[in-house]
Amino acid sequence: MTTYDADGITLERVREYVWEIPREGDMRVPARVLASEELLDEISEDKTLQQLKNATHLPGVQEHAVCMPDGHQGYGFPVGGVAGIDAEDGCISPGAIGYDLNCGVRMMTTPLTYDDVRGREAELVDTLFANVPAGLGGGGVYEGSKADVEEILERGVEWALAEGFALPSDLDHCEDEGRRTDADPSRVSRKAKDRGKNQVGSLGSGNHFLEVQRVTDVYRDDVAREFGLEADRIVVLVHCGSRGLGHQVCTDYLREIEQTHAGMLDRLPDRELAAAPAGSQLAEDYYGAMCAAINFAWVNRQLVMHRAREVIAKLFDLDTGEMELLYDVAHNIGKKEVHRIEGEERELYVHRKGATRAFPAGRPELPAAYRDVGQPVIIPGSMGAGSYVLRGGENSMDVSFGSTAHGAGRLMSRTQAKQEFWGGDVRDDLRDHQQVYVKAESGATVAEEAPGVYKDVDEVVRVSDALGIGDRVARTFPVCNIKG
Amino acid sequence: MSYALRDHTADVAVEATGETLDSVFEAVADGMAAAMAESIPEGGERFSLAITAEGREQLLFDYLDDLIYERDVRGTLPIDNRATVSAPSESEGVADGGGGRWRVEATARGVALDRVEARDLKAVTYSEMDLSQTEEGWHAYVVFDV
Repeated sequence: MTTYDADGITLERVREYVWEIPREGDMRVPARVLASEELLDEISEDKTLQQLKNATHLPGVQEHAVCMPDGHQGYGFPVGGVAGIDAEDGCISPGAIGYDLNCGVRMMTTPLTYDDVRGREAELVDTLFANVPAGLGGGGVYEGSKADVEEILERGVEWALAEGFALPSDLDHCEDEGRRTDADPSRVSRKAKDRGKNQVGSLGSGNHFLEVQRVTDVYRDDVAREFGLEADRIVVLVHCGSRGLGHQVCTDYLREIEQTHAGMLDRLPDRELAAAPAGSQLAEDYYGAMCAAINFAWVNRQLVMHRAREVIAKLFDLDTGEMELLYDVAHNIGKKEVHRIEGEERELYVHRKGATRAFPAGRPELPAAYRDVGQPVIIPGSMGAGSYVLRGGENSMDVSFGSTAHGAGRLMSRTQAKQEFWGGDVRDDLRDHQQVYVKAESGATVAEEAPGVYKDVDEVVRVSDALGIGDRVARTFPVCNIKG
Repeated sequence: MSYALRDHTADVAVEATGETLDSVFEAVADGMAAAMAESIPEGGERFSLAITAEGREQLLFDYLDDLIYERDVRGTLPIDNRATVSAPSESEGVADGGGGRWRVEATARGVALDRVEARDLKAVTYSEMDLSQTEEGWHAYVVFDV
């Protein structure tokens, strides 16, 4: 048997790109890593594998905890981790879903080609930057009242449509049509709502951004056509989440669960894995609050995208209706889903932290537009590297609880990045050598997000494609990038 | 008291020391501000906050969480932090079987965010958190989600 030794943890090769850490000690199930050896070399450099092992201690975890090809160390649960946990006698763990609830990505198609935009990049990046709120304290597209926040939490993108921030087709191209009906706004704290009020429609900072991109490669013509993608086409990618509101929901419940379910926590190897037993009041409350935060994040991305749509329509003399949402994917999310476990259908809380749902064609959860072709999956790259559009692969349900990667994991810490790069140089380099125009609230953010600090997204996507969990459809390359 | 920003792959960590629990709390809070902004101008009004929690580490967690909340709601970056930490009183400890509340009374100078070139810091985490007594006083290590 081929094995891989990583600092005291031995992985056994199950088949190409699938590695298993066998069950031992208090692990309830084995753990699996989906990676090439090249990616495994990177994954095993930090605490990712230990955190993945720890995740298998969660009560009710099924089959195996899985690490996606872009996995890296998180807090408690690794980023790129997926765990399917029995929704009847297992548990739900906020830390295994992440602080930024429904952090995710959406892509909007346009009728423009690269030639239409060439020569006007500076104007485009400046206008987008002036119109899309970014950074800390930059406000939002919409200045909400307390009542607005309640509505957003309850109704999701339906609220945005009613308020004139969406086109009807935006709802057709979003998971759950942009509204999680399990949302319970009354379970979201006042503190969280206070933080959300002035952040409706804002990018925030860190690795979040809005990018105008051009399609450079198409790998599956038939699928690309269904997605409205072709070479040289201009698209817009938005990467952000639920801002302070979602973070506060996670923090609030982490603390409450820690106090109420201390017994369960005592048996877990990491405090960040704090979990509420399925069926408990706190599990229900957290699920309702999380679903409300998911709605908030959808509205957030919707408002940012719609603002960009208006800006582009004005600059290029287009009708807003000519720019359609391709799809919106979440990569920090917990959802009740039915999966086949040992031949039986079971309802699970599928925890995806830094992992994207990637359902294949035929799944009833998919919107009508994509039911026959498979769910679009959007994988953002870094500023100087491409992003990818995939579609849910037919093996994803068996291999990864219907999931694939979420992007290029970080390679270099933020502090180190700032020592190695200077924001101004990174910006000028990208403009002069790659024709990528970047504008940010903070120069430090540009340095911290420099192309060199991320892993190679090409290899991540190659492995996803080879495993048949997310099939490569198209690759895009940045034209303009704005960030906090 | 002093703090330093430490390397962490995806996030940012603050390591701090202080002679007393008060000063180590202050140092972590100032370190958190430094993780958001490299230079901070003068001015801004001071505001106060008071937090209680079931343990020392939990108190530090909740204190930092509340500073992030105040930042978002007030639209100001909290700096020049002052904190007074108190242990559960003995009577409280006896009354509820030792499960009394730790308390911090704190103030901070809030500098308007539009005057600062600042980056977001999303949340406090328990990941690798340390708050321990040393020969010189107190040591703390906190990882923040960026």
